[in-house]
Amino acid sequence: MRQVISKIQKINEAELTELKRRVNIATLIILFFVMILVVRLWYLQILRGPDYVKLSENNRIRMQWVNAPRGNIWDRNGKEIVTNRPFFNVTWVREDAPNPDMVLKKMAVILKVDISELLERIREGQDYPRYVPIRLKEDIDWKTLVYIENHRYDLPGIRIEVLPSRKYIHDNLASHLIGYLGRINQKELNDAKNVNYQPNDHIGKLGIEKLYEDKLRGEKGQRYVEVDVQGFEQREIAVHEPLSGNDIKLTIDLDIQKAAEDALENKGGAVIVMEVNSGRLLAFASSPPLELEEFIGGISQKAWDKMQQNIMHPFLNKTVQGQYPPASTYKMVTALAGLSEGVINQDTIYYCAGSMMLHGRRYHCWKRSGHGAVSLVDALAQSCDVYFYQVGLKVGVNSLAKYARSLGFGTQTGINVEHEKPGLIPTTDWKLKQRKEGWQEGETMSVAIGQGFNLATPLQVCQMTATIANNGIRYRPQIIESIMDESGTITEKFEPIEDGRMLGDSKSLGLIKAGMLAVVNGERGTAKLVRLDGITVAGKTGTAQVVKLAQNKNVPEDEIPYKYRDHAWFTCYAPAEKPEIAVTVLVEHGLHGSSGAGPVAKLVLESYFSDRLVHKEKDKK
Amino acid sequence: MFKFDRRLLVNFDWTLLVVLAAVVAMALANLYSASYTGFYGTPAYMKQIYFFLMGCCAILLIISFDYRALITVNYPIYVLIIVLIIIAMVFGKTTAGTQRWINLGFFNLQPSEPAKLSLVIALASYYYRKDTGKGFSLKELLVPGLLTGLPFVLIVKQPDLGTALMLGCVFVSMTLFVKLRWSTLVTLCSCCAVIVPLGWKFGLKPYQRQRIETFLNPESDPLNSGYHIMQSKIAVGSGAKFGKGYLEGTQVHLDFLPERHTDFAFSVLAEEWGFIGSVFFLSCYFFLVFLGLNIALSSRDKFGVLLAFGIVSLIFWQAIINLAMVLGLLPVVGMPLPLVSYGGSSMLTTLAAIGILFNIRMRRFLVGTN
Repeated sequence: MRQVISKIQKINEAELTELKRRVNIATLIILFFVMILVVRLWYLQILRGPDYVKLSENNRIRMQWVNAPRGNIWDRNGKEIVTNRPFFNVTWVREDAPNPDMVLKKMAVILKVDISELLERIREGQDYPRYVPIRLKEDIDWKTLVYIENHRYDLPGIRIEVLPSRKYIHDNLASHLIGYLGRINQKELNDAKNVNYQPNDHIGKLGIEKLYEDKLRGEKGQRYVEVDVQGFEQREIAVHEPLSGNDIKLTIDLDIQKAAEDALENKGGAVIVMEVNSGRLLAFASSPPLELEEFIGGISQKAWDKMQQNIMHPFLNKTVQGQYPPASTYKMVTALAGLSEGVINQDTIYYCAGSMMLHGRRYHCWKRSGHGAVSLVDALAQSCDVYFYQVGLKVGVNSLAKYARSLGFGTQTGINVEHEKPGLIPTTDWKLKQRKEGWQEGETMSVAIGQGFNLATPLQVCQMTATIANNGIRYRPQIIESIMDESGTITEKFEPIEDGRMLGDSKSLGLIKAGMLAVVNGERGTAKLVRLDGITVAGKTGTAQVVKLAQNKNVPEDEIPYKYRDHAWFTCYAPAEKPEIAVTVLVEHGLHGSSGAGPVAKLVLESYFSDRLVHKEKDKK
Repeated sequence: MFKFDRRLLVNFDWTLLVVLAAVVAMALANLYSASYTGFYGTPAYMKQIYFFLMGCCAILLIISFDYRALITVNYPIYVLIIVLIIIAMVFGKTTAGTQRWINLGFFNLQPSEPAKLSLVIALASYYYRKDTGKGFSLKELLVPGLLTGLPFVLIVKQPDLGTALMLGCVFVSMTLFVKLRWSTLVTLCSCCAVIVPLGWKFGLKPYQRQRIETFLNPESDPLNSGYHIMQSKIAVGSGAKFGKGYLEGTQVHLDFLPERHTDFAFSVLAEEWGFIGSVFFLSCYFFLVFLGLNIALSSRDKFGVLLAFGIVSLIFWQAIINLAMVLGLLPVVGMPLPLVSYGGSSMLTTLAAIGILFNIRMRRFLVGTN
């Protein structure tokens, strides 16, 4: 390189003169072009300036974005759940209003709001250029809209802005799953690269609306219009039509979802219905629901506070965010671990006297008078705690955890829903890491009956039930069946995903299923209430302790404060001989699985099997 | 041990630095206005500041070595850029039907931008080596023709008519500057007379043909490019003598010009600052171009002259084509105004080119010494 550089010679005089001549020619050419530009500027701005000023003031061609119709959301049978409706806002362009005070006074009367509220909005927008519309009110009614349109020449600067918004055909049905739209914020605007969002646009904020925003959104169109000095449209020059968003077909069945939500009315809790052979969810209900209409155009502080203060926590999607002790529904895990590890078999009998002692401490069964001698199937049917204490002690907490994980506990299921919680399956290492303490045997006993450190979401319990029902395949819960374009052509189809297999053999599984069958159909089963005429149900009840309160020991149940009452679980599958669906119900503070959650599950099962139940009744007649 | 030569500072072109700073400051203020919505500030403006700072780092890097070293590395740079263009075409990001960008995470690189500068370096190196003073024959123009033709064809394929046109302008300017034989000039002109109509019929895509037709008769297509030209003229013209004031340009802010912060950035300036402001801005801008020519003139070696002239022609043609387009003198071809239009690749390429100008000026005293 040095050699090459050192070879570069200085220009000699003759060459320099020649180069100067050429550079001078180039200078002249540049000057010539610059002069052309200056003359052109002079022509446009000085000579024809007044004409262009007039053009810019009187007849502007404006390009307006045309919002695309957002995709609809359907249930699995093609019934509409969410569609669109127009949403009218009143905006004000200050530049077009020579007498703002008069206009604002009129608008306060028309919109039935205090003038101070309008002034506050103007203050918020005072830094904007004068031609930027300021929104005075969102979602006005039809009567107000007609009035403003009829009097628009008396209201200079006032414009009606139309936005597509959502129409919820069935009110708040599946509200946590559907989610809602809201006004785009700065962060979302920055994150939306290469997408044509404008400030004030609506964007999915929660649920399917957020997760599938890019599918539902569609593509904006453009409208070129000529407007006059007051900004009123004179004529439409051309339109580039927007492209509609894609429709989404859920796996949810509208009728079953309705049945689930009706059954949960006035209760806090969750219901999940899953197809056992695919993982598709037929119902996915969290109660109380979100008031979706309240979110349109931005939720008011009053409505927000009301939801926040509700002791049943409507903002929590209990299906995936609620973490509760799985209680006796966990006994299937303990049974599976015991059978697979060889510590029990179908003939193993333990005697339940209503409690048992360990290291000088007494551990009670829920039935203080005791169950007597019980086998595994009896223990499941009657939910005997003492039996499972013994199994848990023999198996050990780490082994319990291993089988629990194979059934999907302790980790997210992978469902395409936001904020899913993983639950908690304790191990000796976990306690050492988290609490810096060693594991106690007594804690194993609590874990064996689904209490203690154990935490699970209703969805995990449902996944476990479906896995048992289909003989050990763990399917990922699925909420979307397909995505379609506006012509109805399927662009994306979602197939079942197998996420793993349950540990344990079919013999063990057979015993567990026999136990679950006896829970509903056995003479001493804890869920006889759930029996259906003609459809065999197999399930398991659970009562999750919320807090140990000595003062509540002798208090009638209905006098215990709501927040201290136990949670009620019921999980089941049906028909037992050839399972189709798994149903899991969690009723917060519902006291008992059998009486609190069982009837909810029964209503849902009746909805699913309605045609077959009717059919059987007819046969009887 | 490293020893700093004080003569480098003495020969530094401080005037160019001041003018560059002034032009960029005006451009950034204008970009703020162009992308100002009145709602949430302007990410585009902030990004452009980052690109400018990155460009300043590029200038510092470039002036730290002797520009004459470019003779030895011109072909590796050229090949690298060609590879990048191909990567952009095969794996790149597609926007509005064109595939020009490589996503680098922190910004999207448009390899066709640095391709312009790499062509200038490659042509300057070639002409420096081959120049005998007798003028170039047609045969001797084969290599520079190929050097230009390869990126030209690739970029037309993207399709990016504006950038491809720019490569042609740079090639023609530099070739004419080094002197052609009369016979060569006549032959080339005759070829052009044949190729242009054929190119019009078979080489241009329908949308490109339509743009030129629209330019000749804007009212025939009030949408798209015709709409752009009409709106741009209204915006510029309505600026009148003194403009509408900073951030007060109604035409550009009312969603007329979808590309107001890129290709039509000057429309914003002309509307808000009027004839006086526009002429002041153009004076500063073209003063920068003349300073570049002055550097070419003051260089003591032919390579420096060719390199400086190539860079000046690169900036000049882009500016002239963009401004003529904005003022309705040329069809819409998609050409950024260097230093003014929003875009990282364009800003970085232009500042790197100006870095080379600084370098040539600083080291003029070194020529002929080892």
